[in-house]
Amino acid sequence: MPITFPHFGSLTYVFETLLRELGRKDIIVPNKPSKRTAELGTRYSPEFVCTPFKITLGTFIEALERGATELGMGGCNAYCRFGYYWPVQKLILEDLGYDFRFVPIDYEDPLAIVRTLKNESDGFSYLQTLRALQKTWVKNRFTDLVDKLRYEYRAIETVKGTTDRVAERAFKTIVETKGMINIRKLKKTLPLMFEKEIEIDNSLDPLKIAIIGEIYVVFEPALNVDVHRRLNELGVICETPASLRRFIDIGYKLNPFLKLHREVSVKIAEPYLGYRCGGEAQESIGDTIFYKNKGWDGMVHLYPFTCMPEIISRSILPQISKEYDMPVLSLVVDEQTGEAGFQTRLEAFIDLLYRKREKDRERKITKKSTKPNVSFQTVYGV
Amino acid sequence: MASQKIKVGIPRALLYYKFFPMWTTFFKELGAEVIVSPKTNKILKDVAVSIAPDEDCYSSKLYYGHVMALKDKVDCYFIPRFSSGGFGKGHEKNVSCPKFIGLAEVLRSVFPDLPEIIMPYFSTAKNNHGKLKFLKYCFSIGSKFTKNPFKIRTAIKKALKNQKEHYQQIQISVDELQKWERSEILLNEAPNVEEGDVPLKVAIVGHSYVLNDPYQSIEIMKKLTSHGVDCITSEQMPRELVEHQMKFLDFNMYFEYEREIIGTVMHFLESKTIDGILHLIIFSCGPDSIGGELCSRFSRRKPEVPLLQLVIDEHTGEAGLNTRIEAFIDMLRRRKSIKEKKIRRKIECP
Repeated sequence: MPITFPHFGSLTYVFETLLRELGRKDIIVPNKPSKRTAELGTRYSPEFVCTPFKITLGTFIEALERGATELGMGGCNAYCRFGYYWPVQKLILEDLGYDFRFVPIDYEDPLAIVRTLKNESDGFSYLQTLRALQKTWVKNRFTDLVDKLRYEYRAIETVKGTTDRVAERAFKTIVETKGMINIRKLKKTLPLMFEKEIEIDNSLDPLKIAIIGEIYVVFEPALNVDVHRRLNELGVICETPASLRRFIDIGYKLNPFLKLHREVSVKIAEPYLGYRCGGEAQESIGDTIFYKNKGWDGMVHLYPFTCMPEIISRSILPQISKEYDMPVLSLVVDEQTGEAGFQTRLEAFIDLLYRKREKDRERKITKKSTKPNVSFQTVYGV
Repeated sequence: MASQKIKVGIPRALLYYKFFPMWTTFFKELGAEVIVSPKTNKILKDVAVSIAPDEDCYSSKLYYGHVMALKDKVDCYFIPRFSSGGFGKGHEKNVSCPKFIGLAEVLRSVFPDLPEIIMPYFSTAKNNHGKLKFLKYCFSIGSKFTKNPFKIRTAIKKALKNQKEHYQQIQISVDELQKWERSEILLNEAPNVEEGDVPLKVAIVGHSYVLNDPYQSIEIMKKLTSHGVDCITSEQMPRELVEHQMKFLDFNMYFEYEREIIGTVMHFLESKTIDGILHLIIFSCGPDSIGGELCSRFSRRKPEVPLLQLVIDEHTGEAGLNTRIEAFIDMLRRRKSIKEKKIRRKIECP
């Protein structure tokens, strides 16, 4: 019974590892979503459902054509529509005449994750499943790390394309490394790999932009028109605080001395959006303030068309942008997003940020130059 | 001292239609003056569409219009951040649309010059608020109006009692439903039918804030009655039948108000006791996009009862909708007469 799962940016490697660790050998790794995927998904989807539904449906159809019979999918009991993805997709695919079985994983409940994975594994016990899951969540930390390094180095590399090659190799080593001791060693070797092999231009003074928003759109380059690469090519360092680890990283959750980034940003967002309303609504608001305090230059907020929670955060973000003097560019993404329009808006946004940064620096210099004079005069009474 | 009463504004939209007996009596008993925004009309709609965030659904867009209509008349708004309500089993998991949670905070940030908004957060689902938390919220709201705790207590009691009566008045019992299915009783006023004809039975399903708002639903109830149709709404359905239908699904329908809709549709698709189902969908409504698809897929698998889905938004023309409803009812009539002919033939020549 070949098993497959939706394509999810760099997290695809994480899912692949998880299934490998569970002893499954018949894995069909999904292709990158192409135009055909989006078309297939859109043709059979409800009219105004959010875009990730359409893309995942498209990838499932393509995987079923390649011979998959088991479809792994997240399911939840949260505020957002995501929990209904698999029931509706199941009805649609059944009507299309495919023979398959859905494996929904309730990712909000750690016990449910372990239970479902145990049933899907190759005759594993609970302890073995937990070990496999542990390897996965530790590996997920490193995919996040590689993503972070990639989006940083790609902006300041001297020879174009080296970072992508190194990142690709880094992902491969993450997937292929076996044994907990070897995996833990990756923490040191991966940054070294980037440091050694990529020449960077130290004279540059790049802008820093954080990309926030709905997790699937932020992670999947086929859906967000590869916004990270576009920003990197414009000479901007970017980072995505969103991560799947908030659900699967049980080790981090149980450790009382460590805090996930999400908990920090939710706490910051509380005065503006007090309670969880699904998606990454609270995180988007909290991160805007977080990155402002960190000294970053701007935010790009991405969300799929008709996403319910992100519309809430999108409506609140202008107020925060005004209050904290932090430029935010909100972009709606759907399967018909044009590349040229996206590029123009990003370029205009970055021009604006450069000008704003220069102005801010000038203001700082003038402030600094006036302050000591005043103290000098008052102290010595000249 | 009547002039010194605090004026509480409640927009007549979204959850108001579910909880108005509770909210209005609670504030009236506390000694506040309750001002409910006027019924939806064209001016209100135009204002709403121009100021609301452009990607919200039609119903929540109208909410902005209702809030604006009250702006200069009230001292404070009552907009609860409501996630899920009801105590007891089955309520630990279900939530409602996330927009209800964010609505008050979005309003506060989009229009900073609005009067104060009272926005208690209540959720029996994820935060597991119990009855104690409910009482605490009521007292904290009540203490803004009166210092007498006994007055607050009576207000809570009366409000809950009124809400319960309202539910009992709206929902019909299983007996009544069965009688209606056998065409023994009528649920609404006598529909306009030609002599000797039995009125058609149609179920209208949709959110309560759509069905009860005549402007939003384009007076669909009146239209159906004038076409000789006796209709039942998804609100009227007995809760136990809805919950019974939910057991047949292999997943948990966790949107509280979507359960009602899908449960009603599933019940009638299975019992086949009515002539047709009419599903009102609001454009770009999140839960409806899923619920609508589920309903249409279910009805395609059990095609005995026809299902018409109408998508409504701010640009919906009345004429186009009228034509479709008339065509649907004509089709139902024809189906019914064919069915009766077949039955008669069976009786005459077995």
